[in-house]
Amino acid sequence: METLDIKLPQMALLYGLCLLPWLLLWLIGLRLSRDIGVGILRMSIQLALVGIYLKTLFDLNNPWLNGLWILVMLLVADFSILRRAGLKVRYFVLATFIAIASSILLSTAYLVILVIQPTHFYDARYIVPLAGMILGNCLQANVIALERFYSALRKNENEYTTFLMLGATRWEAVRPYFREAVKAAINPTIASMATMGLVSLPGMMTGQILGGSEPWLAVKYQIAIMICIFTSATIASIINLKLSLAIAFNAFDVLREEVIKKP
Amino acid sequence: MFRYDFSQLITPPIIRFDQVSVTAHEKILLANISFRLFAGEKAVLCGKSGSGKSSVLRTLLGLHPLKSGTVYFQENPLTPESVQSIRSCTAYIGQEPILGAESVREALLLPFQFKIHRSHQPTQAQLIEVLQRLQLPEDMLDRDSNRISGGEKQRIALARGLLLGKKLYVLDEVTSALDTDSKQVVFDVFSDPQLTVLSVAHDPEWLERCDIVFDLDAGRLTEVKRHGNP
Repeated sequence: METLDIKLPQMALLYGLCLLPWLLLWLIGLRLSRDIGVGILRMSIQLALVGIYLKTLFDLNNPWLNGLWILVMLLVADFSILRRAGLKVRYFVLATFIAIASSILLSTAYLVILVIQPTHFYDARYIVPLAGMILGNCLQANVIALERFYSALRKNENEYTTFLMLGATRWEAVRPYFREAVKAAINPTIASMATMGLVSLPGMMTGQILGGSEPWLAVKYQIAIMICIFTSATIASIINLKLSLAIAFNAFDVLREEVIKKP
Repeated sequence: MFRYDFSQLITPPIIRFDQVSVTAHEKILLANISFRLFAGEKAVLCGKSGSGKSSVLRTLLGLHPLKSGTVYFQENPLTPESVQSIRSCTAYIGQEPILGAESVREALLLPFQFKIHRSHQPTQAQLIEVLQRLQLPEDMLDRDSNRISGGEKQRIALARGLLLGKKLYVLDEVTSALDTDSKQVVFDVFSDPQLTVLSVAHDPEWLERCDIVFDLDAGRLTEVKRHGNP
């Protein structure tokens, strides 16, 4: 079953749909024309470039090139996580990279090699979109984990110090904030799994159905990707937080102010 | 009459600051501070706001990195390796103590969750005994720790130190939140000659009861007054 192409005149028609929200926003006095224009333009250019790159990647299907693409994605995610979590990149860049790379490689390799079993494990058609989807969700979880943990620690500095004074080790003193941060990081994934299919059809499944897949196949892939997202988000958040503990504190267990960006 | 406690010649001090300087964000918090405190002594740090009183307490507990000098606890230098044992021997009680648990009972038992104290869990009888010593009612144990007064919180924090058998008490403005009765209870507890106190306070009655008064100004130790031993 072939997916119907969207031809250029129809694409132009699609962009025209944006005029409706733009008009409504203008009528209620929200002057967001510039933001909307930049947003749509950036989305179009970025996706066009990705389209060109993916086409090349799929055509060549070279294991090194595929690996390089995943490495670039990991590096971009690494910087993005730290910037959004309000931590200084130069201190945590390696710790975050180790956390996300190990969890993404583990779950993607598990899914592709053991579950899907394509002829070549490095097949771009599988590893690029799957690793990308897992990484995208893992990124969100890591931003939440780091941001929640370090803001809770700063907010509850006196409590943390009290725990130390009562004989707690650094790990014992941070444990309540650590648990809360991990819970906050993985809660969206757990909630999303619990409501999946009831509230909305998941993006990947919709994409596969539009691409001509049987609904049952799309369902199986959606379950597989959700389990991998949950696994890697949990592992990466825990490893990331644990590794950051060795960087963010001085030898006397005091939080180093210089590692956190000033708001 | 000249009096000198000759025992100090043979007993090492429990706390010793040797030429300690501390800076934070390029601001001098402490400049070349040196003093000694022996077991059983009660000392108070006085001075204007920002003179470095709380910094002395925080430095002792390893919360401020030293620029120069050495802090000794029982003649062992304060290092990353020794800091946990120093902290576990010390009870720090601030102006608004953090109980860190929902109920008073949980607050009292909190330090016993940590590995270092896990094998010394107090019994119900010990919990009641310590509350009685601080003139707190028995039913206080099941109260919400967020719904007790500031003075009661101070006494619970103190009870926690007593349960842990701590001998050194580092107190930051504890008397400011206490009513007359609570203050008397605290004074009675610290009249124990086995307990050593390093405190920050402005309360004249507290100053009167301390053996040593350290005056600080702009991070410098300007005067040391020893009661009964001028």
